Amino acid sequence: MTAKELKVIIGLEVHVQLTSLKTKLFCPTPANYRESPPNTHVCPVCLGLPGVLPVVNRKAVEYAIAVAKALNCEISDKLIFVRKHYFYPDLPKNYQISQYIGPGFTSIAKNGYVTIYVQGKKKIVRIRRINIEEDPGRIIYIGSIETSPYSLIDYNRSGVALLEIVTEPDMENPKEARAFVEKLIAILEYLGVTNPELEGAFRVDANISFEGYGRVEIKNIGSVKDVERALTYEIVRQRRIIEQGGKIERETRHWDPEKGITVPLRVKEVEEDYRYFPDPDLPPLRMSREFIEKIIKSMPELPDERIERFMKQYNLDEYRATVLVLIKWLADFFEETAKMYNDYKKLADLLITDFLRWVHEYNLSPSAIKATPTHIAKLLSLWDKGILTSKMVKELLPRIVLEGLDIEKYVETTGYVRITDRSYLHKIVEEVMNENPKAVKDALSNPKAINYIVGLVMKKTNGKADPQIVKNIIEEMLNKLREGS
Amino acid sequence: MFTLYKVMISMLHDNIIEYLERLALLKFSDEEREKLRKEVEKIIELFNALLKVEGLDNVEPLYHVIELELPLRDDEPLHHLDMEHEMLKDNAILENGYVKAPKTVG
Amino acid sequence: MSIVGGISLNTPVYRLVEEFRTDPSKIFNYLDMIYKNIDRVESKVKAFITIVPQETLYSYVEALLKEQKERISSMRLLGVPIAVKDNISTKGIRTTCASRMLESYIPPYNATVIERIIREGGLIIGKTNMDEFAMGSTTETSAFFPTRNPWDLSRVPGGSSGGSAAALVAGEAPLALGSDTGGSIRNPAAFCGIYGLKPTYGLVSRYGLIAYASSMDQIGPMARNTIDLALMLSVIAGHDPHDSTSLPAPPKDYVMALKELDSKEPKLKIGIIKELFEVAEEEVRKVALKAVDMLCSYHECTTISLPYRTEVVAAYYIIAMAEASSNLARFDGVRYGLKVSFENRGWRDVYTEVRTKGFGYEVKKRIALGTYVLSVGYRDMYYIRALKFRRILKETFDSIFKNVDAVISPTMPILPPRLGEFAKDPIKMYMADINTVIANLIGAPAISIPVGFYNNLPIAVQLMSKPLTEDILLYLSLQLERRTGLKDLIAEVP
Ligand SMILES: [Zn+2]
Repeated sequence: MTAKELKVIIGLEVHVQLTSLKTKLFCPTPANYRESPPNTHVCPVCLGLPGVLPVVNRKAVEYAIAVAKALNCEISDKLIFVRKHYFYPDLPKNYQISQYIGPGFTSIAKNGYVTIYVQGKKKIVRIRRINIEEDPGRIIYIGSIETSPYSLIDYNRSGVALLEIVTEPDMENPKEARAFVEKLIAILEYLGVTNPELEGAFRVDANISFEGYGRVEIKNIGSVKDVERALTYEIVRQRRIIEQGGKIERETRHWDPEKGITVPLRVKEVEEDYRYFPDPDLPPLRMSREFIEKIIKSMPELPDERIERFMKQYNLDEYRATVLVLIKWLADFFEETAKMYNDYKKLADLLITDFLRWVHEYNLSPSAIKATPTHIAKLLSLWDKGILTSKMVKELLPRIVLEGLDIEKYVETTGYVRITDRSYLHKIVEEVMNENPKAVKDALSNPKAINYIVGLVMKKTNGKADPQIVKNIIEEMLNKLREGS
Repeated sequence: MFTLYKVMISMLHDNIIEYLERLALLKFSDEEREKLRKEVEKIIELFNALLKVEGLDNVEPLYHVIELELPLRDDEPLHHLDMEHEMLKDNAILENGYVKAPKTVG
Repeated sequence: MSIVGGISLNTPVYRLVEEFRTDPSKIFNYLDMIYKNIDRVESKVKAFITIVPQETLYSYVEALLKEQKERISSMRLLGVPIAVKDNISTKGIRTTCASRMLESYIPPYNATVIERIIREGGLIIGKTNMDEFAMGSTTETSAFFPTRNPWDLSRVPGGSSGGSAAALVAGEAPLALGSDTGGSIRNPAAFCGIYGLKPTYGLVSRYGLIAYASSMDQIGPMARNTIDLALMLSVIAGHDPHDSTSLPAPPKDYVMALKELDSKEPKLKIGIIKELFEVAEEEVRKVALKAVDMLCSYHECTTISLPYRTEVVAAYYIIAMAEASSNLARFDGVRYGLKVSFENRGWRDVYTEVRTKGFGYEVKKRIALGTYVLSVGYRDMYYIRALKFRRILKETFDSIFKNVDAVISPTMPILPPRLGEFAKDPIKMYMADINTVIANLIGAPAISIPVGFYNNLPIAVQLMSKPLTEDILLYLSLQLERRTGLKDLIAEVP
């Protein structure tokens, strides 16, 4: 068997910050640290000072339960936190308060699944477990990691609430892995628990192996695009080694997004032994059915439900519905526009092709888009009425997206309008045909020569005539000439 | 159980202390190490008193001695930001507001 | 002993507070008396690691009297100097845990108990010596110096709250705070002839107590008489939202509760734990049994049997060391603690140096053993097994407390050892904790009450009752106190 035919097995571990929380997981320190100077969002608890004790943020637990439900997990009836021990300079207590499955303790949720679509194919990715845990601080280097004479630590991030979501190794290629992360992020966004736009709001570690070969873990993947890039790189790298008859070492590698490569992390000197045990500072919480049901009841519509609704309500196919829904702001935009404009398929197509292309082209965040649903509804109506050509729509769209161009006003004031008045155009065509008898003669014998006359009409109308109507009128007149002769 | 305990004692004599030093990031001096070897043997012997207690297999471990429900806190920020580094300035080395720490490699 | 304005060194705290409320200027007289005595005895006893200078306390009291004028008449600890064990965080006052690791650590926050003491007008006079990180029973593992027993300077004061007990009985402070993980309040209380209470787990907030073994640690009061003990407990007990293991109990006035019980004088059932008397040294047993007789002349006593002994000590040390190895992981010299050079050095190298230099032998030993019992392959055999045994032990006492209101035993099976005696045989030291560790393993309250002397060395009994029945312990303590007359003792330090 060649490496080309070997099955690839991918599992993911996604860390998501619950950025919608106002405070950290175990202390009331404000969690919106991103714009702040270092070590200002700190208190004795998140610095791990001697003598401090954790107190759990209720909202974090509620968010975790909502996410667990959205990922179709079994939710534990007990909430138990454990200590995971390892030394590292970003970890204030040198243990992380997390969750784990062991004697007398468990994760908040396990055994779920997510449905993804890749190139029209539906697939189930199973969720192994979800843990609530605290984020470590951030390490800064002077120059590079290697040459920095010491490191500098910012504890602002320390103690921010994270969910660790671990999948079963159910993905077989980088596209599936990317689709999973996109779907997961959409779900979290719909739940309103995180803002994926924020730097570092989610981080992905990937496990990848060729069937029968050693497993490699890739750390530090920070964007959806990089999930696909890093895994694609790694597959090429491993395939080359296998084809040359080499062995894949079980190792941890680091994704370097700038260079677009994975590099081996230094081999750990000490065997990992996290010595998990329930945190004696945090008694268990019995989570009753009512407690869990109350949270589930207040959950908003989720992507799968919305996709289904889009297919029914707007008569869209699954592909269009999925593309729209997985980009929450785009789906919201679609629904707003659909209140004013009812060719839903045409609307969906405009949004998921040209519109989205310009948004990406200009690297706009959803809030920076100047186009409103009204703009797009007007644009499409003018197009339907034949006042704008598809070429004009394509030309004007970037200005609408970028500047919020009012298309109706623009058309009025610039005369950027198409002449569709048949009697007016008839008059112009007559003039042109009278002035160019040779062209008419050619056109009578050669249908391709009609375009020359169309061109002359367009020139005379400064390009404003509707070329299709002009062509029809010319054909009609030529027919009359033929009949008359 | 008894054979297991013998295996363990012999491990103690070999690598266990070095292993624990690496895991706990501390070192014993040669003198301390000698003392430790002797004491640890006796302490493990003390610990092994538990191995002889009958009927523990089906007992749930008791992690929390007082039955108490985990209290949950509202998601309301209470603190001001620590703009003057009151929490760190007396005890850490600060450089431009960052806490100085050793290298993460090497 | 000199008496100024009706106040002397051994005046009980509840009297002092009355005097200070009517005439706050007496606070300064009393402080003069205390500091003078500290000058005289401290160099011999060595109870304190840090003493707040007299001028500092003076100006603190002046400001207190001025700024909180309308509140002082209701302050329950007005003007009372309190000795605080050096593992309880005090904002702006060095808190060392008697360790090189924290030799220059200044907490930026107060423990909840300190906040409560301050609110009641109490004064933090100093931070007392202890076994390093509370790991020991003699105060000899302090990285700085051992504390001496004021009754006999060649002997230890017990531990780990040895500094607090010694300070009380040497007349250096009238009230103290200790912490108790396996007997660390009761052991030195017994060896120094004072009263010490380990409250129900969760009754007193642990926020700010530098953790040794979180599932067993409790802060508790130490005093020279039962009413002072009740007074201090009233101030520090009660729910704290900063501690998730804090019981949702409403604040309670234990002095009132004690007086109420004392006036009703209910007859209680007391269980005498046979084996714990058997393992005690003869002199200790004799004196302790006299106290049993005193109680049994009024209350109904039965003999009960404890089927476990070595197992109890084993379970205690496994759990304590396991939790300690985790709690002490944070000491790496970065955010606080012993500093070494970071330049061009890897964290593993730096952390190892910090922890090797910062921790003493006993602490390193317990961290190593705690790491061992939690590591893969041994966790189930030791740590999980110890916790299973803990459940059995708790259930054993749950059923005992169905039949009796309290159980009695000697607090310590031995007399205070001479300095250096225990260091030779750590197992002997661990086994001496047999009587006290039970209360911590099962979360129950327990009190140590001085009941007699042998060769000028104090002997005490311990009473233990079911969770949240501290008032019963205080009631029995007050009865014994009256019978023995052993209250407000101050040792003559030569
Ligand atoms: Zn904090």
